[in-house]
Amino acid sequence: MIELVHVWKQYRPPAWALSDVSLTVKRGELCYITGPSGSGKTSLLKLLYRETLPTLGQVRVGDADILRLPGAKLHLLRRTMGVVFQDFRLVPRRRVFDNVAVALQVLGTPAKELRRKVFIALRMVGLHHRIWDYPDALSSGEQQRVAIARAVVNNPRLLLADEPTGNLDPDLAAEIMHLFEEINRQGTTVIICTHDRTLIRLTPGRVFALHEGKLKGKRPG
Amino acid sequence: MILPKLHQAGKEALQNIWRFKTRHLASLAVVILAFLSVGLFLALANNLRARAVEYGRDAAVVFYLRPDLPASESDLVAQQIRSAPLVAGARLVDAEEARRRFLARFPDLEPIVESLGRNPFPASVETTLRNPAAPSAEVQSFIAEVRRNPAVEDAVFNREGADRIRALGRLAEAVGLAFGGLLVLASVVIISGVVRLNIIARRDEVEILRLVGATNAFIRGPFLLEGAILGVLGSLAALALVALAGRFFPAAAGGALGPLGEIIGFRALTAAQAALLVAAGAAAGLFGSASSLARLLKI
Repeated sequence: MIELVHVWKQYRPPAWALSDVSLTVKRGELCYITGPSGSGKTSLLKLLYRETLPTLGQVRVGDADILRLPGAKLHLLRRTMGVVFQDFRLVPRRRVFDNVAVALQVLGTPAKELRRKVFIALRMVGLHHRIWDYPDALSSGEQQRVAIARAVVNNPRLLLADEPTGNLDPDLAAEIMHLFEEINRQGTTVIICTHDRTLIRLTPGRVFALHEGKLKGKRPG
Repeated sequence: MILPKLHQAGKEALQNIWRFKTRHLASLAVVILAFLSVGLFLALANNLRARAVEYGRDAAVVFYLRPDLPASESDLVAQQIRSAPLVAGARLVDAEEARRRFLARFPDLEPIVESLGRNPFPASVETTLRNPAAPSAEVQSFIAEVRRNPAVEDAVFNREGADRIRALGRLAEAVGLAFGGLLVLASVVIISGVVRLNIIARRDEVEILRLVGATNAFIRGPFLLEGAILGVLGSLAALALVALAGRFFPAAAGGALGPLGEIIGFRALTAAQAALLVAAGAAAGLFGSASSLARLLKI
């Protein structure tokens, strides 16, 4: 499903954000990328959704070779994955429904089907009763659950999460991790970047530990 | 597949226009001003062209007769003119009718005319040509031939007047297009600025759209439509104002212009002109939006 082969990434010389990282993630796996701040977790994730390109090496996501993927086809790659961020990235001017629906609108999903899928996704995260609220009216945990609903509403093959519990208290963090576990159980490959090792104990998965851009260790879940 | 996306883009564009209504109203005002000036000059040119056609259709050549000419001789001159192959018709206007016409047109000058103690207006023969567009040389030789008759004192070839009015119409059109063109250019810049502000205000949304796999067209569509809607609304409002000007200008200012009121006026735009103006509005809006998108949304 995902393969990184001798990947190097440099934003500004002389520092390397990633140094010779190689890893493979199989379809349907749940795995973690851990490490302290500045270890390269976010850079690695950005390579997977092609927000940035590797300086050296190969990155494959599904059938796509990230380096060779033309810009005009980037949207096709992005439609196969969902991305969740620490800061939720919801649009405050839009209701919960619209925030989730956007992932289906880009596909041209007919209105009736779109409403059904949005409702199902929000029910999965337990927020179907807040469908017409604005994000500001929700707690941090609820906002993150809306972001997860948006990420999974079009049944992606891959879910990427960058410090998804960074802004949440431990109880809410546990709730969110259970959600990821549930999504993974339905067949979606889930990759979570986190520096919080207690989360990994809560929801076991394979761990890739990064330190100063280098892959230090792999631990089976 | 395309219809829901188009519907979505249209909805987004209208929501945006409503969300940032103050800045959109300001840009709409500039668009209206730009297209109003083009529209007014076109309407003025239309009026001048129509007047030119009317004058061209009227007496093409007027032959003024000697003041002391007896009525019987005047009739003879009129007959001679009528018999010329170039002439479609010739009407004898006697001195009294000429006086009546003048006073009907300039009633304020009646005391001056009366004070002269005699009728200062000569009789004339108003002649229409078979072919109003006949070559000038041909018409001039016909005039010269008639003028050889000692009963004829002067001749005025009215087509020159019509041609002058027609040229004035062309000038008005050119001035309108040049001046309006500059204003349309200004409206393109304003629309571009407004769309630019909207893109910046919606950067978070654009970021999300890119993440969930939106195509360039999907992201850019609402912004392009926004510009096009502004352009179309602006040009439609300008068309309505031009129509109002055509209707109310003669009553409001026509009297003050005196005889000039006949040529300074606004005649309704043709369907083709109106369609062209709206299309130009849409194009200006699209171009304005596209220039901002090219700078700010490199995807």
